[in-house]
Amino acid sequence: MEGETTSTPAMPGVQDDALLVRVQREDFSVDAEINRVRCRSKRIGGVSIFLGTARDRSKGRDVDGITFEHYEGMAQKKLREIRERALKDFDILELLIVHRYGDISIGENIVLIIAGAEHRAEAFRACKWAIDELKQITPIWKLEHTPSGEVWVEEHP
Amino acid sequence: MSDMVTVRLFGMTKSLAGTQASLSFALMDGQRVKDLVELVDKAYPLIGELIQKRKVLVSVNHEIAQDETQIHESDEIALLPPFAGGR
Repeated sequence: MEGETTSTPAMPGVQDDALLVRVQREDFSVDAEINRVRCRSKRIGGVSIFLGTARDRSKGRDVDGITFEHYEGMAQKKLREIRERALKDFDILELLIVHRYGDISIGENIVLIIAGAEHRAEAFRACKWAIDELKQITPIWKLEHTPSGEVWVEEHP
Repeated sequence: MSDMVTVRLFGMTKSLAGTQASLSFALMDGQRVKDLVELVDKAYPLIGELIQKRKVLVSVNHEIAQDETQIHESDEIALLPPFAGGR
């Protein structure tokens, strides 16, 4: 049996667009998502990724776990806008964004951005821009569980 | 005649409203975001203060709204505390 992503045709398809921007509870496979981006174009020669994971420490406090809440509908809309702007403003061939919500244990994946371009410089630039923009405009909130209680995280790093 | 508009809450605004997921306010069709903010401020002064300080934003139909944005009956309205996407 082929995996779900390796069986995807090499040509871009409309039905794939929804898979390139997702907000989901379950974990994701970085390899599978990289393949999803690589399948979009044979001109891709450089792939840059940002993977955000759950740390056990935040602002000097121990953190036991994190809960992410999102605004269903608006979060997806803002992530789609980020992908579309990245495709327009950078010389890249594809950009994928996946963000998890719900309870996330320390060490687990939270967010993944993958940029595919002909050359590395634009892939790096688009990837950095996309994660910075995500933090600015996407309605996703982070509740840290600490030994002394729960804290909604406010400010941007 | 005024209509009830539902305002969705998230994160700390939900906590400040006693863990309610949404609030209802009576607004006339075509009234503005600033009118809604006045009603929020009367009922929940702590949330009202955060809106005044621009720490909490008001969204209408999934877009950040301004004071003068008009609100219509079927609009989807939410109070958005500061975002903190995964890092």
